[in-house]
Amino acid sequence: MSEYLLQMTGIDKRFGGVHALDNVNFAVRPGKVMCLAGENGCGKSTLVKIISGVYTRDAGEITFEGQPIHHITPAEATRLGIQVIYQDLSIFPNLTVMENLAINSEITAGRKIVNRKRWEQTAREALSKIGYDIDLYAKMGDLSVADKQLVAICRALLFNAKLIIMDEPTTALTKKEVDALFKTVRQLRDSGIAIMFISHKTEEIFEISDDVCIMRNGKNVYSGETKDLTKRDFTFYMTGRELVDDYFVPTNISEKPVLQVEHLTWKGKYEDVSFDLRKGEILGITGLLGSGRTELALSLFGLGKVDGGTIALNGKPVKITSPIQAQKLRIGYVPEDRLTEGLCLRQPIADNIMLSSLKQLTRALGTIRHDELFDKSNEWVSKFSIATDDAHKHASTLSGGNQQKIVLSKWLNNDLDVLILNGPTVGVDIGAKQDIHALVHELANQGLAVIIISDDLAEVVVNCNRVIVMKDGRLVGEMTGDRITEDNILDIIR
Amino acid sequence: MNTAKLKRMTRRTEFYMLIVLILLIALVQVRSGGKLIALPGVFTRLNVTVLRTMVVDGMFAMCSLVVMISGGFDLSFPAIAALSYSLTTTLCLNNGWCQSSPIAGLLLAMAIGWVLGMLNGWIISNFKLNTMIVTLGTQTFFTGISMGLLKLKEITSTLPEGFKAFGKLYIFESADPASGIRFTLSAMVLFLIALCAIVSFILNKTMFGRALYAIGGNEVSAERAGYNVKRTKFLLYSAVGALAGFIGMIRVCMESQSIPKAMVGKEMTIIPAVILGGASIYGGEGTVFGTVVAVGIISLVSNSMLILGIDTYWQQFFNGLVILVGVTVSALQAKRQKH
Repeated sequence: MSEYLLQMTGIDKRFGGVHALDNVNFAVRPGKVMCLAGENGCGKSTLVKIISGVYTRDAGEITFEGQPIHHITPAEATRLGIQVIYQDLSIFPNLTVMENLAINSEITAGRKIVNRKRWEQTAREALSKIGYDIDLYAKMGDLSVADKQLVAICRALLFNAKLIIMDEPTTALTKKEVDALFKTVRQLRDSGIAIMFISHKTEEIFEISDDVCIMRNGKNVYSGETKDLTKRDFTFYMTGRELVDDYFVPTNISEKPVLQVEHLTWKGKYEDVSFDLRKGEILGITGLLGSGRTELALSLFGLGKVDGGTIALNGKPVKITSPIQAQKLRIGYVPEDRLTEGLCLRQPIADNIMLSSLKQLTRALGTIRHDELFDKSNEWVSKFSIATDDAHKHASTLSGGNQQKIVLSKWLNNDLDVLILNGPTVGVDIGAKQDIHALVHELANQGLAVIIISDDLAEVVVNCNRVIVMKDGRLVGEMTGDRITEDNILDIIR
Repeated sequence: MNTAKLKRMTRRTEFYMLIVLILLIALVQVRSGGKLIALPGVFTRLNVTVLRTMVVDGMFAMCSLVVMISGGFDLSFPAIAALSYSLTTTLCLNNGWCQSSPIAGLLLAMAIGWVLGMLNGWIISNFKLNTMIVTLGTQTFFTGISMGLLKLKEITSTLPEGFKAFGKLYIFESADPASGIRFTLSAMVLFLIALCAIVSFILNKTMFGRALYAIGGNEVSAERAGYNVKRTKFLLYSAVGALAGFIGMIRVCMESQSIPKAMVGKEMTIIPAVILGGASIYGGEGTVFGTVVAVGIISLVSNSMLILGIDTYWQQFFNGLVILVGVTVSALQAKRQKH
């Protein structure tokens, strides 16, 4: 018997003209956590679907526990002990925890009649596998994402799983929940189960995995033990380019502040916050979850309350009571996820860019001047070097990074003075992250005042020329230039 | 544990519907001067009328319920029922069948409904189309067959005797103490009770029933869990077709007439009732109990509007209100589940 539980050699798969998997070699050791890493669209999910029997391979060999496997069907994969926990967890939100746990094995056993007693027994057995306790009669949809995930894991364990594949399991989890999940993953690993962990988050991969396989454009570009890999190499393999942290160098800071905040207070959220912001600056606001950082931004955009203190724009005091008013005052706010989700993928690129500024393009009766729409959007296409030959094409034809450029141009169309970005790169690939950062630097140096709100300290350090730190609703520190380091920020937060 | 159970119960639509029904019964009872429930005989002229209305609506509601649980909408079941019974009665009349027993006619109507339902099932499961659009299409198509292609006519006094006699069967007979007019409780109520029991058993005790909930909850997950979603849907829509044919025939027997156009728009009163009874418009939710209670509420209101001092013109208004309340509650619940 080989040292590998699952071994795949020379796997090839084409979809029409697309070479989704090109001679991929891949192996998983029993009792180890193997990370399958790669940016979106690199072929990770295709590979998983071949292992789980959803797709058939065009070429290549697969052995499981030393036995060659010629044809895998989903049922065969289950019989072998391969379980996939998909990103959506494949749960039934309308059914109870008990049913969610037992239904798969009942179907597999070919049962026709429901026996509640047996279901409950199966469910309890599943929970006992990882010593997890939860109300069996609770409705699945009422649980937290972390609990849903544990239920999905327990369910997979019912099938005497030898290999559990987890597809981006940490996406919707908080840091604390991720830690709890990792604890469970280690527990499973120590009991001899192989875990295949799909992710694109560098930190997590280095924390949890023993082995790593990195894919790019349908090829595996690295496989080996995680400890032999540096984070720098990892990034290189992921993106195919040498990414160096491009620190923001402000070149165009205005003399007078564009935004002045004095003793701003939202009772119960934050208190007595004062800072100013000049054009050409990127100001970082950081702090733990619940420190008041997001609420502060909401107040500046008219979505939060102001109980005391003043806000002044270009020296004039203003009261911001609604987002519409904030936009009129040339303040823009991009909430979390918006850079990835604020797109109509099946609409032309041009329409997406101009979506929030159509008012500038309407004739008397509200009809749209299409020529101008394309002229204007083409300006943005060239300004941000969005990789497309025709703005009539759908937004879905673009890569993730380019899509995010569209979202940014959409906001910037409205001639902003202040742009507030809340968690601008949450859930974004490393490569695309770099692109967004470069873009923000460029915007700042063109004279925009930018606020980045983030708890990703590395992001704050690289991108901001000034950082203010919040803790428990109060401003507890401010640093500039070389003083901005992760350690310095952590000292204040802790 | 007990408080948890209580909490779960109070979160269910059925629970509130039951309270509404009880209040409504009390109200009608008081306003009618004790005409709804009269001890010791229990049955009164009013309540047997309500029960009679509930037979066909309640059984149709079961068709709609099972489809909605699976996450679909069937707009075509009244059209299936109409085509099935119109064709059956015409054939029976022309060939002199069913003069003494209705059984052949009932089976024939079921068979026709089954074939029509299979068409729905085949289109829906094979082409993975939106069920509402498909059944809107087949509804019109089936009505077209009945009216245009076959030119099926109304059959009233010439209806085969077997059907008439069957429809007149009753399980209880009494006379109104005031007027002395005789009234009966139709034996067809037994079909409603039996159907409710069967559907409840299928939904709760069989893997097929759980498949409907699973598919309605998350179709992709159901497929991954090992359910044959395609086959399940095909079976569901063909069974609903057969059932619709049967129910239509029961209605013909009860009314002693077969009118091809009688079913037009029926789905628009049945579906809201099912939603009011706790079935989710997004699928995955719904119970037989809740549906029966909701149908009871609607039948009670429509039969006691005069007693409650409401002009019958308000019927439409009430139906509209039911749709709005039911759909809003259903949507709000689905929203709560997401967050």
